Amino acid sequence: MPNPANRAPKTAAANRTEPRYCVAPVGSVSQAMHARDALAREGVPATVVRNDPAATRHGCAYAISYPCERERTVRAALRSAGIRWRGSAR
Amino acid sequence: MIWFDNAATSFPKPPEVAERVAGCLTRCGGNAGRGAYRSAMAAAEAVYDCRAAVADFFGAASPLRVVFTAGATAALNLAIKGSVRKGDHVLISDLEHNAVFRPVYALARSGAITYDVFPTYAADRAATAARVLRGIEERIRPNTRLLVCTHASNICSAVLPAREIGMLCRRHRIRFILDAAQSAGHLEVNVGRFHADAVCVPAHKGLLGPQGAGMMILGDKTEMNTVIEGGSGVRSLDPEMPPDPPERYEAGTLPLPAIVGLREGLRAVEAVGIDTIRAHEKALFRRLRERLGELSGVQMSAPHAEGSVLLFHADGIPSERLAAELDERGFCVRAGFHCAAMAHKTLGTPESGAVRVSFGWKNTEEETDLLANAVGEIVSAR
Repeated sequence: MPNPANRAPKTAAANRTEPRYCVAPVGSVSQAMHARDALAREGVPATVVRNDPAATRHGCAYAISYPCERERTVRAALRSAGIRWRGSAR
Repeated sequence: MIWFDNAATSFPKPPEVAERVAGCLTRCGGNAGRGAYRSAMAAAEAVYDCRAAVADFFGAASPLRVVFTAGATAALNLAIKGSVRKGDHVLISDLEHNAVFRPVYALARSGAITYDVFPTYAADRAATAARVLRGIEERIRPNTRLLVCTHASNICSAVLPAREIGMLCRRHRIRFILDAAQSAGHLEVNVGRFHADAVCVPAHKGLLGPQGAGMMILGDKTEMNTVIEGGSGVRSLDPEMPPDPPERYEAGTLPLPAIVGLREGLRAVEAVGIDTIRAHEKALFRRLRERLGELSGVQMSAPHAEGSVLLFHADGIPSERLAAELDERGFCVRAGFHCAAMAHKTLGTPESGAVRVSFGWKNTEEETDLLANAVGEIVSAR
C-alpha cells in the first residue's frame, strides 16, 4: 500500500518544469567568472562550478553551469568573450 | 612625518585599503583558484573583481588580459624575458629604472640579445616627441623585436610619448612594453590607446594599494613565453602551464591581501580622478620649484618638466646628508641614485646623486612650504 506521506500535493510550483542544466568546461577559474559575467549580460543565468577532474584529460578544471536550452546563446557569448568552446555535458 | 616619497611607495593609503586588507587576513582563508569550497571561491571572486577593475582602468580588452605579479619589477621581467628570442635586438630609453635596464642587460650579457639606448632629451627644455621618435627610428635594426621604456621617469617629471612610440612600434612590428610604474594613478595609461603589448604597473604607488602586488596588463593579442612555471590551479596533470592568460603567467599563489587592497586603492583614485590628481601634483611641483629656485646653490634637474617628481641637489652637501637632515626635521625624501643610474647620467646629476621629492594626492601646499623652508635652513647653515 503506498504511503500517503509520499504523495506530495500537486501545486502549480510542482507542475513547473525545472530547467535542465548543462556544464561547459573552461580554461580556468578566471575564464569561468568572465564567462559567467558575459552570459549574465546576455540574460543567461550561469554559475561557476569545479569540474570533475576525472572527466578531463588534464585534471583540475573549472566550468560554467547554465540552462541547457540556452546553449546556442552560451556558445556565441563565450566566443565573443574570447573563451574557447570545449563542449558541454548534461 | 611628512611623506614626500610617493615615487617609492604612496603613503598614507586610503583607510579603506587597510580595512579591506585586514578583513581579508582575518576573515578570508581561501586561496584563489585552488578548490571550489566557499572560501576559495570567495577569494577567486575577489581576485576577478580586481582584474575587471584593472582592465577597465587601463583600457584592457578583458579581465583575462590582467596578469597579477609580485610587483612591477616582476611584471617587467616576465614581459621582457617572455618576449625575446636568441639573436633579438632590444631598444630601451636613457631614462630607464633598473627594473628595465637590469633584465635587458642580463639578457645581453648572457649573449641572448643585443640592445641599444635611445635618447629622450629629458634634460633639454626643447625636447619634442618627434625628436624622441627620430632617435628610436635611427636605432631600429632588422632584428629589433622589442622596445621597452618607462612612461614617466622615477627621478624627474619627464614623460615619454607612449602613444606615439606605440604607434611607431606597431608600424615596425616591434613589440612594445611600457613601464608605467610612475605614471599609473598619475597620468592616463591605456594599453589599447597606447598600442602597447604589455603595460607593467605596481599596486602600491599611484594606485594606492599595498606593497606585494603588480600587474602585467596584456594587449589584445599579446602572447609570450612563460618565465615562471608552477601550480596554476588548473590542468594539474599537464606538465606545461595552461595555454591561456592570466593563469598561464601566474604560477603559484596570488597575493590576495595585496590584490583586495589594490581594488580599494583603485576606487579611491577613481573617486578623486586622474586629472584632479595630476593638477594637484603639478601645482605642488610648481610651488616647490619656485621656492627652491630662490635658494642659492640649489640646482634642480629637468625642472621644465612639471609633474609629480622634483629632483634637486645642493652644492657642497652630499644628497644622503641632505636627506638625513630633512628626515631629522620629519620629511621623508629619497636621496642617491634611485635605482636609476642611467637616468641620473642622462640628467647629469652630481657624483653624490640627488634628492627626490615625489608628491602624492595627500600632500598639501603647507607641507610643500615647510619642506622648502627646511631645505632653506639646511642650505643656509652650510
